[in-house]
Amino acid sequence: MTTYHPSVKRLLDGELRLGDLPPELRAEGEDARRLVAALDREPVTLSRAVDAQVMAAVRHHAKSPARRIWRWVAAPREVELRLRVRPWALWGGALAAAAGVTLLLTRAAAPVPSGAVATHVAARNVVFVRFVLYAPGAKRVTVAGTFNQWDQTAAPLVPAGTDGVWTTTLALPVGQHQYAFVVDGRRWVADPAAPAVDDGFGRRNSVVAVTTQGARTL
Amino acid sequence: MESRDAATDGEIVRAVLAGDVELYAALVERYRDRFARYAVRMLGSHDAGEDAVQDALVRAFDRLADCRDPDKFAGWLFLILRNRCFAEQRRHQREGHMPEDAADAVAAPERSDGAVERRESAQALARAVGQLTPQQREAFVLKHVEGLSYEEIARLTGATVASLKMRMHRAYDRLREHMKEHLR
Repeated sequence: MTTYHPSVKRLLDGELRLGDLPPELRAEGEDARRLVAALDREPVTLSRAVDAQVMAAVRHHAKSPARRIWRWVAAPREVELRLRVRPWALWGGALAAAAGVTLLLTRAAAPVPSGAVATHVAARNVVFVRFVLYAPGAKRVTVAGTFNQWDQTAAPLVPAGTDGVWTTTLALPVGQHQYAFVVDGRRWVADPAAPAVDDGFGRRNSVVAVTTQGARTL
Repeated sequence: MESRDAATDGEIVRAVLAGDVELYAALVERYRDRFARYAVRMLGSHDAGEDAVQDALVRAFDRLADCRDPDKFAGWLFLILRNRCFAEQRRHQREGHMPEDAADAVAAPERSDGAVERRESAQALARAVGQLTPQQREAFVLKHVEGLSYEEIARLTGATVASLKMRMHRAYDRLREHMKEHLR
């Protein structure tokens, strides 16, 4: 194949002018410019039928039930499981208003090294659960349960910006967990609106069932 | 929106997404011919180019919700058209042929002295461009037909300037080979 001299290619690229080429390359440069000059650069006009055909397809697609269903399915939405909130009947004064738990559920992203099969399986079966407690006047709120060996300091809630609302999100393994909130380090609070179990020591604990599909209170 | 002609692409896209489907006609009118020359030169056929533009405009509507920056609708539409053109070229390669009317895609000039010769050269060059690889052809068309700089082509296609120059320089050599009869 006969190739162009690199300087002639730079001429075609617009980086050099014909006069910049050494005399022995100018004929080659003129040939190359003639070749490119033969290009048809006339604008192309499509038939007006294109507009009508595109808009006919657009109107048809816009009305398509499949398109509407797909857009509904594909639209991002937040999945939230909200429990009933009732006043804390046993609390007078400071924490009297209401309490509840909201579980916002998403599957964990399995942040584990590849190859660690047992860990990987465990991580795949972890669900983020958000705990929310309405406790106006409280100075400190934690959640303790079977998932943290009832350590009342392990999972503190933080004020959520709204007066009296405390929240935290925990990664819980799939399974059934008992829990209760601990207010100001001394008051154990279970949700009276949700079914609870007796802990055998005269206290009642709320129960949450965590599955790979989500979580629900029992 | 007071006038659809004065509206920006972003305003139209947002209105269409909000349910005003008929406004999409303004985008069709705005871009049907602007990208037609690229499609026709890439596919070597007026009919194939027209089909590609039409198809790209419909696909763009179907995926309009995926247009992350409505104000850059033109660049997004171009990428859809580009993918459509490359897919069409792959189909031709699989089937072992290119459109037979590549030379007919060249505009017919008015009759005058030298006009016939110029048209023949243009037709021969159109056939030679059709022999380039799709990547070489795209670089050549965007630079020498659409008049874009290497930097503009790089922004449009995502390729680096260095790789675009390499494609282009190989294209020059191949075109010279194909056109040696006409250059004498």
